[in-house]
Amino acid sequence: MSETLPVTLPPAAEAALVQRLRERDETALSEFYDRYSAALYGVILRIVKKEEEAEDVLQEALIKIWNSFAGYDAGKGRLYTWVLNITRNLSIDKIRSRQHRVGNRTDGLDDSYAALTQAAPTTFRPEHIGLREITQQLIPEQREIIDLLYFEGFTQSEAAEQLNLPLGTVKTRARTAIKVLSKIIR
Amino acid sequence: MLNIQEYIESGRLEQFALGELPAAERAAVEAAAASHPAIAAELAAVVAALEGYALAHAVAPPPAMRARVLSNVLAQISTADASTDSGHASTGPTPAIGLRADIDALAHAGATAPTLLGQRPAPLATSSARSPLALAASVALLLSLLGNAYLYNRWHETDTTLVALQGDQTRLASANTVLQREASAAQSQNEMLRDEHVRVVALAGTPAAPQARGRVFFDPSTHRVFIDAKQMPPLPAGKQYQLWALHNGKPVDAGLMPLDATSGLLPMKPIAAAQAFAVTIEPVGGSATPTMPIQAMGTVVM
Repeated sequence: MSETLPVTLPPAAEAALVQRLRERDETALSEFYDRYSAALYGVILRIVKKEEEAEDVLQEALIKIWNSFAGYDAGKGRLYTWVLNITRNLSIDKIRSRQHRVGNRTDGLDDSYAALTQAAPTTFRPEHIGLREITQQLIPEQREIIDLLYFEGFTQSEAAEQLNLPLGTVKTRARTAIKVLSKIIR
Repeated sequence: MLNIQEYIESGRLEQFALGELPAAERAAVEAAAASHPAIAAELAAVVAALEGYALAHAVAPPPAMRARVLSNVLAQISTADASTDSGHASTGPTPAIGLRADIDALAHAGATAPTLLGQRPAPLATSSARSPLALAASVALLLSLLGNAYLYNRWHETDTTLVALQGDQTRLASANTVLQREASAAQSQNEMLRDEHVRVVALAGTPAAPQARGRVFFDPSTHRVFIDAKQMPPLPAGKQYQLWALHNGKPVDAGLMPLDATSGLLPMKPIAAAQAFAVTIEPVGGSATPTMPIQAMGTVVM
């Protein structure tokens, strides 16, 4: 699944890019975009599900990455880990605020979750080999949990409530799903 | 004592990787990982698995998005820089100001830009009253601004590269000068050593300094004297080695050995004639007459 790993930079190239970003070199942003936008945009799109919003979030994410770059500690993990966290959090904030607006008019989380799952993500096409592999190996219940936790930003308790399952079952399924992912990725 | 297996299976690491723990609990997980390699390894595997899942969803953004997003980002971060750190902005070359303004204008035009580029159809209905000419002119202006932003970036990159290269060149030139100087010194020493007139005087330690060893190179035809200072014992503070030429039983000052001399041949004072050389310890700056005892000595074999 090498084509699904476009951001595995050689350590020296990643260090050079980090150095330029740290030195506030604005030209480094275009290199950053070229290397990371696909990896980040895919996650954003999967979370917010609308192209216009995904573009806004990508832009916000780049600005946030630039502005808070001093907070990145290369000793604690790869650049991708850090930027992915920022991007995923912004995306989840986006759908949370949207759910909040919806929730003011209706009944809150359950309805809006139902609405989200019913609204077929028209722009999202799971055509990557890596993704197909993953969907083949994760059983549907595991995939449902992992998507709820990772892409909808549910806590494990919220997921348990949502799926009407005991918390322990959610935890076990999440752990098993992550173990399966771990094996595929290795 | 922490039960590591229980901790790993508690689901806490997954919660950490999914970002659902509050700061205090995050810190606790980080501390646990720092002190237990098994926990650290498990945590890394969980993080990598979720990252792999994220990566499997990678989708390249539409090509047109690149210029929009990058110019908007550039505009926002540069206005932020200008308002918080005007000194930084002024370091840029003057042409940048005009381009910055262009980019800012582009950012402000952002609300209408996507419409004009045909990406979002909704607002078109309201703009139908505008003349097609004005629309075309706006499109042309936008394209030109995008082109400016692009060219500005390229120019900035080239400029940075040029400055870096000039710095490299200066460093190489000065390194080259140093090497040339060292090479010519080595060459003249080499010539001296191969000269048949040069006498090599082995200095042996006296009972005052049995470990002392040294060699003096003396050329009676040119009067040049060098000393190889490698094997002299370290000196107490405030003292310095001084070399003497003994001619007809009388000591003649042949110069001081530099205090920081560590290696190689040291040029000393020219000496017209000598039958022996001796080294004494003198106060820093040297003496007119040698202070006994002699530390090392050797005779010139003619």
